[in-house]
Order: sequence, then C-alpha cells, then structure tokens
Amino acid sequence: MTFDDAIKKSIKVFLQGKMPSKTSELSPEGLFYTPEYFDTLEAELLDGPTESTKDKDAKDKESIDAA
Amino acid sequence: MQLDAPIPGGNYTSDTRNYSWHRPPDLVDYDQAVDYLINKIDEPEQIEVVFAMLGIDAHITTVVTTILLQAVSKGKIGIDLAILVAGPLARYIEISAKDVGMKYELGIENKDRVIITPSLLKASLGIIEQDDEELEAPEEEAPLEEPTGSLMAMPADITAPQNEQDAMLGGETLEEEIPVEEAAVLEEELV
Repeated sequence: MTFDDAIKKSIKVFLQGKMPSKTSELSPEGLFYTPEYFDTLEAELLDGPTESTKDKDAKDKESIDAA
Repeated sequence: MQLDAPIPGGNYTSDTRNYSWHRPPDLVDYDQAVDYLINKIDEPEQIEVVFAMLGIDAHITTVVTTILLQAVSKGKIGIDLAILVAGPLARYIEISAKDVGMKYELGIENKDRVIITPSLLKASLGIIEQDDEELEAPEEEAPLEEPTGSLMAMPADITAPQNEQDAMLGGETLEEEIPVEEAAVLEEELV
C-alpha cells in the first residue's frame, strides 16, 4: 500500500464516523477533533449568519436600544 | 572477488540528522497535529493554494496528501500520525470548500470499479444457463455451396488465357520459346 492509498483509506474511514480507537485511549479526556465536531462546525458555518446579515442585525439592535 | 554490496557499518559513518524525518517529530499528539494543520490551512497563502488546486479539479485527497507530505518533510509530524490526521484535514477542507461554494471531489470513490452482478459472475466462470443458451444460440447458417470437384480440382472460374492454352498444347508460342542451342540438338537427334 502506498502513502496515497493509506491517506484515501484513512479519509474514507473517518467519513464513515470511525476514529482510531487506540489513539483515543491515549488521552483520558478523549479526542477533540471527532467527526461529530466537524459536523457541528459544518452546521454552524453553513447555516450561520453571513457577515452582511451580522452587520444588519447589529444595526437593528442598536436602533432598538437607542429607542 | 568483487562484491556488489554496501560496506558493513557504513551507515554509522553518515550523519543521521541530515533529514528532518530522521529526527523525532515536533508534534506527536493527534489533536495538536490537527490543530496545527488546520491553522496552517487557514493562512491566507495556504488557503489560496488549496482553493486553486480544487479549482483545477484536483481531488481533496491529493490536496491532503500534498499538505501532509509537506508537514512530514519539515519534521512537524511523523508519517503514521500523518495518516491518522488525514480524515479530519480532508473534512475541514471539504467544509471550507462548501463554505465558499466551490465544487470539489473527495477522490475516494472508485469509479473504475466493476460492480459484480450474478450475470457477470456467471459469464466470468463460463456458466451459461439453459435458457440463456437457447437465447444466445446463433441462427443456423445458410448451407455453403457444395464443392464441384475434389480438393485438388482446378476452380471452375479460373481458366487460362487462349495463348497459354495453345502453348501448353504445343502451339506456336512454345516453339518460339525453345532456345537456339536446344533446337539444334533436337535437329541432330532427328537426323
């Protein structure tokens, strides 16, 4: 198996939601960068407000506070 | 006797610190390595390179391999840890590409793979069912024309030209072809 094949296999396994079990055992708190973490990150990034809507929301809030 | 082999102990004479991957890597922790690589990708120059590679239809696996080999060659992470962190890195690049609305391909799908079906397996093993055999049986060929003569017989459509036939039958053409010397010998014999 070449390095490229190993990388492909590793990516495929990670996308299936599997984690390296022995590596997980090394840290008592568990691993931080899990498939669930990336799912949450994706949901936050893709469904979250854009920069323009953020500015608009901030301006609306300011106007409400001023009133 | 000449031996074509390395000198025993020759490896001890070279400096093993020549390459960064000969030394212990800087990062050995999974989370630290992923954190380092994600921060590395988020650098403006690096993310430009990543998006440029995806823009030329490079697979995410190719991008990940390039980044990891770079990290290994710099001695940041070991090659085993590089394989382990490939998944999170690919996922992060995928999310980044989705975020900017860029088309991407992971490159883990094997499109050339032939899907094995029962019929394909039968065909590869040479098993043909009776029904298939009936369906696939070729139509009876039209009977060939029976040969007119024996195997060594001259084909009917080939006939020698008239002058050749005359020559074969002892016509004028044959007499003209006899060399002068032979003709003289023949005349002597006849006399």
